[in-house]
Amino acid sequence: MWSYIVRKLVYNVPVYLGIILLTMAALRVRDPVAGYLGKNATQEQIDRLTQDMGLDRPFYEQYGKFLWQIVRLDFSEESWAQRGRTVKQILIDAIPPSMSITVPSVVASAFIALVVSLISAYFRGRLIDRTLVFFAVLGMSISYLVYIIFGQFFGAFLPLHQQWEFTPFAIQGYEAWTSWSHLSVLGLNIPYPNGIKFENWIEYCMLPVIIGVIVAMGYDTRFYRAVMVEESNKDYIVTAMAKGASKPKIMFVHMLKNAMIPIITRIMATLPFLITGSILLEMYFNIPGMGRELITALIANDFPVIQAFVSVLALLFILSIILTDVLYALVDPRVRLS
Amino acid sequence: MSVQRMLSLAAVIGTMLAAVTFAWGQEKILRVPMATEGPKTLDPVQGSTTYENRCCSQFYQTLLQYKYLKRPLELEPLLLAEMPQISDDGRLWRFRLKEGIMFHDDPCFEGGKGRELKASDVIYSWKRLADPAYRYKNWWLLDGQIVGFNEYKDKQAKRVDAGEPFDYEAEVPGLRVLSDYEFEVELTEPVQQFAWKLAMFQLAVVPREAVETYGTKFSGHPVGTGPFILASESDWKRGTSILFTRNPNYWDDRYPTEWMPEDEQYGFHKPAGQRIPFVDKVQVTFFVQSQPQWLEFQARNLDISTVPDFAFEQMFSRRTKELKRSEARKGLVHFKVPLLDFIFRGFNMEDPLLGGYTPEKKALRQAISLAIDWDEMNDAYYWGTCVVYDGPIPPGLDGFPQTEGHRAPVSYRGPDYERARQKLIEAGYEIGPDGKVVGLPPIEFYTSRGAVSEKMVALLERNLDEVGIKLNPHFVDFSELIEAVNNKKAPFFSFAWGSDYPDAENNLALFYSPNVSPGSNHFNYFRPEYDELYRKIRTMPPGPERTAIYEKMRDMIIEDAPYAGSLARTRYYLNWEWVKNFKPTETFYNYFKYIDLDVNHEERPK
Repeated sequence: MWSYIVRKLVYNVPVYLGIILLTMAALRVRDPVAGYLGKNATQEQIDRLTQDMGLDRPFYEQYGKFLWQIVRLDFSEESWAQRGRTVKQILIDAIPPSMSITVPSVVASAFIALVVSLISAYFRGRLIDRTLVFFAVLGMSISYLVYIIFGQFFGAFLPLHQQWEFTPFAIQGYEAWTSWSHLSVLGLNIPYPNGIKFENWIEYCMLPVIIGVIVAMGYDTRFYRAVMVEESNKDYIVTAMAKGASKPKIMFVHMLKNAMIPIITRIMATLPFLITGSILLEMYFNIPGMGRELITALIANDFPVIQAFVSVLALLFILSIILTDVLYALVDPRVRLS
Repeated sequence: MSVQRMLSLAAVIGTMLAAVTFAWGQEKILRVPMATEGPKTLDPVQGSTTYENRCCSQFYQTLLQYKYLKRPLELEPLLLAEMPQISDDGRLWRFRLKEGIMFHDDPCFEGGKGRELKASDVIYSWKRLADPAYRYKNWWLLDGQIVGFNEYKDKQAKRVDAGEPFDYEAEVPGLRVLSDYEFEVELTEPVQQFAWKLAMFQLAVVPREAVETYGTKFSGHPVGTGPFILASESDWKRGTSILFTRNPNYWDDRYPTEWMPEDEQYGFHKPAGQRIPFVDKVQVTFFVQSQPQWLEFQARNLDISTVPDFAFEQMFSRRTKELKRSEARKGLVHFKVPLLDFIFRGFNMEDPLLGGYTPEKKALRQAISLAIDWDEMNDAYYWGTCVVYDGPIPPGLDGFPQTEGHRAPVSYRGPDYERARQKLIEAGYEIGPDGKVVGLPPIEFYTSRGAVSEKMVALLERNLDEVGIKLNPHFVDFSELIEAVNNKKAPFFSFAWGSDYPDAENNLALFYSPNVSPGSNHFNYFRPEYDELYRKIRTMPPGPERTAIYEKMRDMIIEDAPYAGSLARTRYYLNWEWVKNFKPTETFYNYFKYIDLDVNHEERPK
């Protein structure tokens, strides 16, 4: 397996180099310095910053320099928009708020959608199945924004405004719910939680998580149900039924295991977004996570942050694809990593 | 007195005492929103946005400030003991600082105790604008204004390029310290508008010790002389909120004693002469989206808010633009703040089709201008709350047309389709039988991308179609729009200008030929007579003579039509009635120190 992972990593190096090349080229199509300095900038200012940032150097030199920074995981470049803060600091500060929302959302939505899809497949064609499918389609059809606006109004504003006794959620905002320590790995300070204030998480994170779960559930349930239904038509199910296995056993033991490959693919595809966060949720709930940082950096033409962000995101995607292949082999013995 | 009555009296006194004790012990925390992801820096020399202005103005102070309650806006001394003494030729400005003004207590000072502000601090702070480490972000404020300052900047840039440190000790001939509290500035020319710049937050005074102690971290560790401090660096939660805490050592600053007659109905005059600030803390929350801000305000979690577009009809009568009675009964107070906006559609005067100064070229631009219906745009997209006017000078400033409909003596403001067609004929075009202009290619129009922008362009297309002109819109990112305009590639474009200070000179500079693109003269307008007048008004003190020249310049621009316009927005503010002394403005932001709160108001959440 390890040789497979190493080989896959090596194969993906050119892919990654290509992504970085394209990203850097795209960011330089229009002068990033002029865009950043804005309407009052003089040519002298533009020239100086271009020189300070090394953007006057040949492209291949800039490319090589940035690749070397990535190899050393060196994101110590100063943000253009947030003077005094390095890109690394911005990324590290934004990861915990994002993950406070995305990790529970993905876990909860995957689990609930899996259970619901199994129930739906179990009662296939009957009223309960149709009802669940109806709600899944309904859930998919409503815009994310509508959920957010309704969620904020009915979930947070109304209880506060009517002065109900039970006002569990804040309309917006974020307070750290974990205290963090840092572990130094390869020059990067990796944060890890060492204390928890669960009440803060409930107040500031739970409502966005609920909304995230509701939105994801419609898509997930439909997809998982389709996978289950397809599996239920396979020969091994007929064999199991012929052997007299009970329906729950067939579904939850035989079928679920065999349906895991598409399910894992879907879950793994969302993994990079655990870090990058949900932009809409972060914007509306004022959560200072990665999604919002990226949007802010794009608006402010914060060139170093955008470049670093895209390179990290691309790396996460590649790693998640390799991890998906490895997981295939773990859950399905028929898959061989060769 | 019976025992029962004595007990009742004791109960009443006890309740009153408890209430007083409660109020006494309660912190006054003003809770305000900021519609953005917040400031990027708290260092004045690196700031440029209104959000940075709003935050820096609480920590740092400038030599002059705006009179809080006076309209039209006037300046008064803040760090200065008196207004600057200006020599007869207008070039030598002498300043005297107030004595006893202390910087915030901070570990960067000896013993952690803030030291007294000195004249050398002002010079040091201004020299920072010339330091390449701060990317000359605000150099434009002093560029070419002070004798020897540009030479100093160039010399220092060469030193830095050669690997030597920036020399803050080197002399600038036009900046002279006379004593601890006195200094003088020699201007290259007697520019009256220099006074306005002395109230701009980028020229606020910072202590050298703090800059040198904190280095790049200084942008998140403010140390000034202002009424509020950042008690802990963690009080600025980037992207989320910032908490200002009252400066315990703030100097003897007082509430203004001058006000406008209309202020009395709000009681703004009552605290006259009292020591400020009134509140203990100011909690500013950043909102990228207006929906959560509006809900927080309605839930009384915010004391003040602007009114988002989607809530305008809910709160205000569309006809009268006044707060609905049902809303006023909830304890809301509203204010309308006219902004110093100049929203326009600009022409590139160097464009072969639309540019030029011949009568035909002028007639074509005038025809386009006459076809545009600004009133419809105002009604459709701004609830009719904007001011539509002629010229580039926004409401409230000398030179703004005070006539009915804000029309200048020369006016090419639409919609006047018949006149527009006549102008097209004067421009040498024929109107075909289908109503289209024969021989006129589609006008290339550049505007920034966005849903509202697309709707506005649809309206513009319809307006121009009325006279047979076809528009070819280009929707681009704002940075691309700036680039296209700076490179003179946009023949017709949508832009706006917010005045840096309340003097029409700032807007008239947009048509001064040395400022052509990539400078602020995006029209690339060039008329020697106009330039001559502009140079003249820069040295003239306010008065009827200067206003007359402003009007002459305004009319000259309207006649040449390098733009079509104009529009100025009005911002609607609401606050709960427990907020006292809040007179909103968007020209300056150091007003948190004047605001007070009635913490015992029954509707205010405890």
